[in-house]
Amino acid sequence: MSVLEVKGIKKSFGRVEVLKGLDFSLEKGEVLSIIGSSGSGKTTLLRCLNFLETADSGTIAVNGKVIFDAASVKRLKESEIRENRLHFGLVFQSFNLFPQYSALENITLAPTLLNRGTPEEIKAQATALIERVGLSDKTDSYPCQLSGGQQQRVAIARALAMNPDILCFDEPTSALDPELTGEVLKVIRDLKNAHSTMIVVTHEMEFARNVSDKVIFMSDGVIEEMGTPQEVFLSPKSPKTKSFLSKDIEAV
Amino acid sequence: MSFIEVTLFLANGFVFSLIIFAVTLICGIPLGLPIAFCSMSRFRPVRAVSKVVVWIVRGIPLMLQIFIIYYVPGLLFGNPVFSNIDRYIIGNFDIPQDGLTRLLMINAGSLVSVLIAFTINYACYFSEIYRGGIESISKGQYEAGYVLGLTKSQIFKKIVLKQVIKRIVPPMSNEIITLIKDTALANCIMIPEIIKQAKELAATRAMIWPLFYTGVFYLLFVGLLTILLGKVEKKLSYFN
Ligand SMILES: Nc1ncnc2c1ncn2[C@@H]1O[C@H](COP(=O)(O)OP(=O)(O)OP(=O)(O)O)[C@@H](O)[C@H]1O
Ligand SMILES: [Mg+2]
Repeated sequence: MSVLEVKGIKKSFGRVEVLKGLDFSLEKGEVLSIIGSSGSGKTTLLRCLNFLETADSGTIAVNGKVIFDAASVKRLKESEIRENRLHFGLVFQSFNLFPQYSALENITLAPTLLNRGTPEEIKAQATALIERVGLSDKTDSYPCQLSGGQQQRVAIARALAMNPDILCFDEPTSALDPELTGEVLKVIRDLKNAHSTMIVVTHEMEFARNVSDKVIFMSDGVIEEMGTPQEVFLSPKSPKTKSFLSKDIEAV
Repeated sequence: MSFIEVTLFLANGFVFSLIIFAVTLICGIPLGLPIAFCSMSRFRPVRAVSKVVVWIVRGIPLMLQIFIIYYVPGLLFGNPVFSNIDRYIIGNFDIPQDGLTRLLMINAGSLVSVLIAFTINYACYFSEIYRGGIESISKGQYEAGYVLGLTKSQIFKKIVLKQVIKRIVPPMSNEIITLIKDTALANCIMIPEIIKQAKELAATRAMIWPLFYTGVFYLLFVGLLTILLGKVEKKLSYFN
């Protein structure tokens, strides 16, 4: 059974249809990369998965249980939506750490407020997570004292603290100086080795090619091409994919 | 009248200034919050009503608002409550011959009307500062809270509030410093605040210098406020 099963997701903003019916699934421990040109709807898709946007039609099932059905979403209580969205974690392009809290407090805040254990347990878990992203020496630093790459690693630890089934990343390195992207990508690679299930929207083609199990190329709100990295990068079927990838090579 | 006597006489007046200052802050700071929420409400009628109220209160002079609160109950309902309170106290209590207690007793009713006018006026100014502060917090802060499964009220209390406070401290400091000087407006309905007291000396004893001497009281107090507010600002400077 797939961890994630997305069927027929559509989303419009006003008259503009941004997602035109997306279907895909993801197995446990897999990494899915989503690539595609600007405005193709990648962010909107992640936001629908995390309930920051409500899709107009379609269903989302996690571990075989339908957690979103556009046909009945209006009947869900706010608390149910909150429960459901915890199947997903989201790491933002712009980190969005809470500035008034230290790195450790950023990680412990949600588990504490949602009573996910005793204060000691929560702190121990957070300390382990901060070590996992290589920031043990920054436990008490505030976000303004951290580099972009360090902030993003704290943001990843913060998302992990709620134990999501699927962790989503929206261009996690786009806001970073080139020399800082490596440290963040390394953390994601380590997570893959620890069998985390992840969806990564990215412009880092090297990363998508080497780390993912599955690649989706999106264009104008549809999945133009989907397959293993070999299939998508080495023998793309769609002309749009070909032209996108060749532009990318030129850009490099 | 000696320098000490003048100082004490003016100090009695400054007690009125301080009472108006303290009550306006204690009542106006919390009252501004619901007004700010109404101004940001999703329901148009609520938003419209609160914007009109804020527009009126900020649009007319505070002195006029003091007159309105003081006189309107009498003009509209035939019951001048505030001056009635003054009259009742004067008629039914033993009033000391002079001193602060006397001033407080014979002006209690009028003082209440001034406190109401100041509180409403300042709450509206504060509400606009709060609104600006709340709206300046990026959507990403709320979204980061949502995806972690937090409720709206947890996000407001635990994430947004402190950031808002940090941003509103400088404009609030300005308002607070303006407030102590605005208390002089209370003398339009004969409240014996410090400038009214000085005018009294000018009228009854032909002493002009106490009028200028009142400036020292304001300056000392504003200096104290500046230090305190600077401390608050410093305390919140560990993040940005
Ligand atoms: N809240 C919104 N209201 C209206 N239009 C929106 C909204 N959010 C996104 N859009 C539009 O939807 C389209 C897809 O946006 P989206 O952010 O999902 O693209 P993207 O693939 O993530 O692009 P990028 O690579 O630049 O991040 C764009 O045309 C955008 O203008
Ligand atoms: Mg995007």
